[in-house]
Formats: sequence, C-alpha cells, structure tokens
Amino acid sequence: MIRLVRAELLKLATTRLFLWLGLMILGLSAFVTSTRIASTSQLQLSGVSEQRSIVQFAAIGAIVALIVGIVDSAGEYAHGTIAHTFLVTPVRERVVGAKLIAGAIAGMLVAAFAEVVTWSIAAVWLEGKSVPFQLATRTVLDTYLGILGAGALAAVIGIGIGALFRRQTAAIVLALIWLLVGEPVLSIAGVQQYAPGHAIAAVASAGSSTSELLGFWPGLLVALAYAAVFAVAGAVAVDRSDV
Amino acid sequence: MPEQPPIEVRGLTKRYGSTVAVDDLSFSVPAGRVTGFLGPNGAGKTTTLRAVLGLVRPTAGEARVDGRPYRQLREPLRRVGAVLEADSFHPTRSGRNHLRVLALAAAIPVSRVDEVLAEVELSDAARRKVGGYSLGMRQRLSVAGALLGQPELLVLDEPANGLDPEGIRWLRDFLRAFSAGGGTVFISSHVLAEVAQLADEVVIIHHGRLVTQEPLETLIARAAGGTVVRAPEAERLLGLLAEAGIEATQVGEGELRVAATPERVGEVAAAAGIVLHELRAEGATLEEVFLALTSEGSA
Repeated sequence: MIRLVRAELLKLATTRLFLWLGLMILGLSAFVTSTRIASTSQLQLSGVSEQRSIVQFAAIGAIVALIVGIVDSAGEYAHGTIAHTFLVTPVRERVVGAKLIAGAIAGMLVAAFAEVVTWSIAAVWLEGKSVPFQLATRTVLDTYLGILGAGALAAVIGIGIGALFRRQTAAIVLALIWLLVGEPVLSIAGVQQYAPGHAIAAVASAGSSTSELLGFWPGLLVALAYAAVFAVAGAVAVDRSDV
Repeated sequence: MPEQPPIEVRGLTKRYGSTVAVDDLSFSVPAGRVTGFLGPNGAGKTTTLRAVLGLVRPTAGEARVDGRPYRQLREPLRRVGAVLEADSFHPTRSGRNHLRVLALAAAIPVSRVDEVLAEVELSDAARRKVGGYSLGMRQRLSVAGALLGQPELLVLDEPANGLDPEGIRWLRDFLRAFSAGGGTVFISSHVLAEVAQLADEVVIIHHGRLVTQEPLETLIARAAGGTVVRAPEAERLLGLLAEAGIEATQVGEGELRVAATPERVGEVAAAAGIVLHELRAEGATLEEVFLALTSEGSA
C-alpha cells in the first residue's frame, strides 16, 4: 500500500498541477494578506487574534487542496490514465485507498505551502509596520494545525467528488459554485454550519471562534463524516466504472 | 495443476443499456502463438479485450487470464502487457515519468524503465512531455508500458491504427521477435491484412458474437478460391471451364470470375491454346470473408 501511495504522489508531482496551484496560492495570499494588513491600523495589528485571523487566510490552501483532490481522481478519467492505473492495480479499492491517503498528504502539503506563504508575507508587512510579530508563538499553533487538517479533509472530499463526476472542469466548477452560492443560501435557513465547506472552515479556524461556524471539534466530526461519505461514494463509483 | 490457456473467454456478454456489445462470446487463446482478433469496427473487440483486462465488468459470463479473472492476478504487469486502443497519457507528464509511475506501483525497479524505453527506441524523447509526442511515439510508449513487467502475454487493441507504414513495420517486427521468444500475442484489428503476416490463428467476431476461430491458413483458403481472368476469347474459355466442371461467370467485357485457383484456370486455358491478358487470384477483403462466414453461420 505504501508503494501505491508513493506512486499516487509521484503522479501528482510529475504534472504541472502543483506549479499552477502553487502560483495561485502565491498570488491569492499575497493579495488578500497585503490588502488586509494595509487597511488595518497598527494598534489593531498588534493583537494576537488579529494576526491569527490574517494567517488564517492560508485556509485558501484548503480550497486549492479540494481542487487537487478533484483533479487527482477526475483527471485520471479525463486523460484516460485510469486504465493504466487499473491495469497495474486491478483491485480498485486499493487504488482508491492509495489515492485518499496520497490526496490527504498532498492536501496537507498544499495547506502548509499556503501557511508558509501567508506567514512570510505577514511577517514582512508587520516588520515594515514595526508591529510586534506574534505568529511564531505556541498560541497560534492550533491555527496552523487546523489549516493542515482542513487541507487534508478538503483533498479527500475532492477525490470523492472527482470520482463521482469524472469530468474535472465540471466537478471543479460545481464544487466552487456550491461553496460560493450553495452554502450561503443554506445560511438563510441557518443550517450552513453543517455544510461541508463550513465544517472544514471550522477545522481551519481552530483557536478562534465565530458564531457562523461550529466549534473545532464538532466541526472536525462533521467534516470527517463528509470526507467518509464522499470517499465511500467515490470508491463505489470507481469500482463500478467501466473504463 | 493443468495448463490454463493464457486467455479464456466464456459466455461473455456485455450490455450498455439496450445495446449488446458482446453477446455470449466464448473462445480461448492458445499459448505461444499469435492470435488475431478480427471483426469490423463496432464488433465488440475492444469491449472484449477490456473485459479480459478487468477494465470492463461483464454483464454475464467471464474472461480469464491464466485461469483467473484479471482482477485476481497478483502481479498483473508481470503476466500481461496491454496496449490499449488510442492509448492516452497525461499530456504534461514525460514519457519516462509515466513509466516510472507504473513501475513504482507494480514494484518494478526503475532501471527497467530505461530498458524498455531503449527497447522501443524512445530513449531520446523520454524526458519530453507526452503532449508533444507523435502518434507513433505514443504507441511505442504504450508498448514500453506493456513490456515493463517482462510479461509472456501481450494483448494489443488495434495497435496499428493511425500508424505510418514505418511504425507498422516496426510493430510487426517487434511482435514477431516477441513471439519468436515464446511469447503469446493476442492482437485485434479490423484489417485482415494487418494481422495476416503475423497471426497463426484468428478469432473472428461480428455483432459481438463468435463467427469462427481457426488457423489463419484455413481462413485464407476460405477467403481465396476465386480467380479473375481476362481473355479475348472469354466466352470460349467459359465453355471450357464448364466442361471441366469449374464454376465461372462473366463479369465484364472479356472478363470472368472463376471459382478455382489461378493455376487450374491457367491449365485449362493453356490446354486449349487460349491467350490470357490477365490472371490473378482474387484476394477477398475481410468484409467479404465476413459476409461469407456470417451467411454460412445463419444458413
């Protein structure tokens, strides 16, 4: 199984996917982090909770991880490489298992990259504004870990979605529409906390609390439940597919 | 344990909705020979091969490799090499990385990747993106992937499709060498001529059903048997052939189609001193063989 996970990671590493998504993270983080810091007063910025909320922009890494997951599974159908994958590993449950593990690792790597980028940009800005830097303390550690977990969960859900849809562009567009339109609509009924995007956001928001989101632990449980549902549904779809 | 045929298909049926792609198909591929898998486009060849390779789930019946379903093979790449029809690759991944992924998943040492790349003469392009490969290069990459595990059985689905004459010759030489080394080859095509120079045996399907499985010589004998002859005294020749008990029909001005070998027709003409302007064996097209075989089957 370790072999298969390594093969899945090698697949991800040998295309341009990480390059483009890395640039996307770089651009988005630089823009959002800079705008926020530039428009916030020095006094506000010196508080640890404000600095934490800035570094939480790294949670866009979870959205990118979702795309990684979708591309990882739907992309194999889109490019027809899924046949090669099944020829080597005809027991498809093993393929899905390896993809989920590799996807979770890749999702964490993407989230970690987003954290490093956001953290570095924040550090430069805060230094420039002569604000004491508080993002290297243990109190912010849970935020960093939460974002890593959110990346892993989002990638796993992405793999499930990709396996269900098998068309990567359609799957990515649908997923983003869901996050941008579907979940906000749910908030009218006040049940948005239990939606997958909000549950993952709750995980990514470890250490801070808002009324919009579930707490970290309930959020983690709900997100894990979604990950399990998408993973199993994806595995069933993959097992039944003729390629 | 008794020797199992490398490929055995029993009562295989595959339906897509209301379309029956493969209909109660049974045949087996003998070891150590080249078996051609023939049928017109849409006959169900690809579906059958994909069922053999565990990619398509049969509606009924089964396909076995070495006596067991492909999905139960422990190290499938070491047993079967597959070249799929219009094989596809990730466009931004290099050919070498494509093979590295397969090798890693199949626990095959990466040194083997460079070996097979050299074997298919693709070493120079190995580190380039597959997106920039020609069709022939992709086909070679596909063959390289099939060879990774040094299998004794190769399954190829329409491998000559879209290849230029040079590519086709390369493939034919390669398969000849593989077969000479004792390997088993199962190769599909909709063009009889493509496999005629390679195959020992043919399996022919039509509308998802088995038409015949027989040695290539038998098929060729069946397909041939006709001779076209052109002679100024065609009508006299027609009469002489009839006297000799040979069936013949006039098909044009001074032209006859004769149900006998060119040798026999030549002998009859020579005996009567008839001048011939043309004498040739009529090579039946695969379509004609199909027609002949399918009408025999329904009679």
